[in-house]
Amino acid sequence: MKRNFKFTPTPQLVVRKIIGTITLILLITLTPSTHPIWFGLEAILLLGLLWWSRVLLRCVLRRLLILSPFVAGTALAAHYSATGLDWKILALRSTLCLLTIIAFAETTAVSDLLRGLRLIRVPTLLVTTLALMHRYLFVLADESSRMNRARAARTFTTGRRLAWLQAASVAGQLFVRATERAERVYDAMCARGWKA
Amino acid sequence: MHIPDGFLDAKTALTTATLSAIAVSFALRHVRRELPSRRVPLLGLSAAFLFAAQMVNFPIAGGTSGHLLGGTLIAVLLGPSAAVVVVTTVLIVQCFLFADGGVLALGANIFNMGLVATVGGYAVYRCVNLMWPGPRGRTVALTVAGWSSTIFAAFSCAGQLAWSQTLVWEIAWPAMTSIHVLIGLGEGIISALILIAITRTRPDLVATSSLGVTPVRWREFSFLCLLISLGLACFVAPFASSARDGLETVAIQGGFAHRALAPLQSVLAADYQIPGLTSPALSTALAGMLGIAAVLGLALLISRLVLREASPKKILRE
Amino acid sequence: MKPAISVQGLSFCYPDGVAALTEISFQVARGECVGLLGPNGSGKSTLLRHLNGILPERLLGENGPIQIDGTPVTSLHLAELRRQIGLLFQDPDDQLFCSTVAEDVAFGPQQLGLTAEEIHQRVQAALQQVGLGDLAPRPPHHLSIGEKRRACLAGVLACDPSILVLDEPSSGLDPRGRRELITLLRQITSTKLIATHDLELVVELCPRSLILDRGRIIADGPTTTLLSDEALMLAHGLERPHVLQHAHPHRGEPR
Repeated sequence: MKRNFKFTPTPQLVVRKIIGTITLILLITLTPSTHPIWFGLEAILLLGLLWWSRVLLRCVLRRLLILSPFVAGTALAAHYSATGLDWKILALRSTLCLLTIIAFAETTAVSDLLRGLRLIRVPTLLVTTLALMHRYLFVLADESSRMNRARAARTFTTGRRLAWLQAASVAGQLFVRATERAERVYDAMCARGWKA
Repeated sequence: MHIPDGFLDAKTALTTATLSAIAVSFALRHVRRELPSRRVPLLGLSAAFLFAAQMVNFPIAGGTSGHLLGGTLIAVLLGPSAAVVVVTTVLIVQCFLFADGGVLALGANIFNMGLVATVGGYAVYRCVNLMWPGPRGRTVALTVAGWSSTIFAAFSCAGQLAWSQTLVWEIAWPAMTSIHVLIGLGEGIISALILIAITRTRPDLVATSSLGVTPVRWREFSFLCLLISLGLACFVAPFASSARDGLETVAIQGGFAHRALAPLQSVLAADYQIPGLTSPALSTALAGMLGIAAVLGLALLISRLVLREASPKKILRE
Repeated sequence: MKPAISVQGLSFCYPDGVAALTEISFQVARGECVGLLGPNGSGKSTLLRHLNGILPERLLGENGPIQIDGTPVTSLHLAELRRQIGLLFQDPDDQLFCSTVAEDVAFGPQQLGLTAEEIHQRVQAALQQVGLGDLAPRPPHHLSIGEKRRACLAGVLACDPSILVLDEPSSGLDPRGRRELITLLRQITSTKLIATHDLELVVELCPRSLILDRGRIIADGPTTTLLSDEALMLAHGLERPHVLQHAHPHRGEPR
């Protein structure tokens, strides 16, 4: 996805985007199933939005495919259920809501989102935690794949029990490294004048 | 079990969002008060750890593999309030950045995975650990806690789907619970294995207050449990209570149902219904909430009366 | 003229009882560039962390062993101290903790309580100085390690420190990145204390060096003298750098 780095939206714009996204999802949820034409209109609106924002089709498809087994399972269960809920409408509503979130996620940088959250008075501790989580999840994901590769290079036997023990070991190491890094990040924050 | 958008109706989304918002702001306040400032970055780093750990594969069969949810593990390592904050952070990022779980359903997802699974699992952990202390007991406790937490969350999720009338309760709860009995097994075992791995390299991290985070204060813990109970009263109690409970069944079979003491029940809320409210689901929910509030109020009153007799200062002076 | 850094008899033990530093004493004059050398585990990083009050966890009072520009390192003066001393950590990922480079460079000035206008100016100036002007809106995990190091330096320079303390600044850098860093450091005129294994860098940038081993200062003197002493180098886990071993057309015969 090509992100335009030259454009930095103001926090007010981001807040408006958040409100817009939530409103759209609310509309989709509340659309009565008796008038399917509304779903059609919403679909056209969303696809237009995605095309205008230059979100790549394969990004959208990849995300849609990750529509968990949960949705499929629940939709099918609803079909056989006595509540009279049409599984097709359920799946359609879900997909449209998903497209809305994808449109939001692909066009908003995390730093802008966090600035927007600060504006709507989300508690500072939560925003700091979100910011640090986003910053370090790639770092930890890299560390975990490096550890996995190193282990794989030295594993000559197969077996589920071993695989589980190794995976747990990697995860355990990851937590230990995370705590050590948290200490160093604290020192780095204090070194530049941060007061908790 | 991230619920996507479109599966919950407005009242469920609103109720769960309100309860979750209260719980999270409460947990944040508690963490801010109790957490030493050098541990503040640890919250974010733990959330990142949880996210990365959720991507680790625990192969089962064929192409499937188990994954960690992690609420209970984090609760054991960092304390329940911090765990609520950490899991909420993970869920928010998953929702907004990875479209995993709906935006309107975020309240419900935080309630299920951030509150019920985390706090409920922690409660089970402490109970089992009390009966079986020591490192081996800790492992067993975490396995049981991880398993239970998944089932609790599944139960809550089923209730929410039923209350939204997406699924009928009779289908929702067996389906969700049976699947998660198996998934929960994975969660319990994986959490315990990870704890063992951490204990091996850094046993100091696992000792109860060495990370210096959120020691359990029973008042705060009880408040979180209260919020959970309120939620479950809304979307589990109505369905659970409409089915005849064990006692009623026995009474009917035994032929003494007609002799049951009905006066108090009929006066207040016959069959958990509040007179005046037309919607049975809503009135049952409200009745449940009032019931819990009444019981809690009674408990607090009793404890206040009892504890005033034996305050710590008095004991020290003696 | 008060020395920029003055350390008198500093000793430090870790909570588990391991002695990390023993009776450290040295001074760094204003504008000097001093190299801090020593094998792994000698206590270099521990010493650097004492300079801006990260260690010890409970700071000593007015009579503490460390004075920065005449001011003792106590909890009273910590805020001003941390503005004066720019500490560059070993792992740039620890220091770049914000979502974008620009935000990270702005972190220091924000903590100083400057206005939005001033913060913006400082950020631009610092990024220009390190040559990262167009990478400002990038998230840190998109940067190479050389760019990350420079971003960290920008973050430190944005606070306008009078003393720069660097912990292994050239580790992990490719030759070009290393050369860019050396050029950059040469341009910065503030007092510098550089802890490093990169002996060639020390020869280039630091006229004076300290050698630390097992928590004690072993030697304190001109870099070329110290580093040419093969016996001294080998005794303390170092070795004579190539640049002092062979004749160089611009430098003449090695001493």
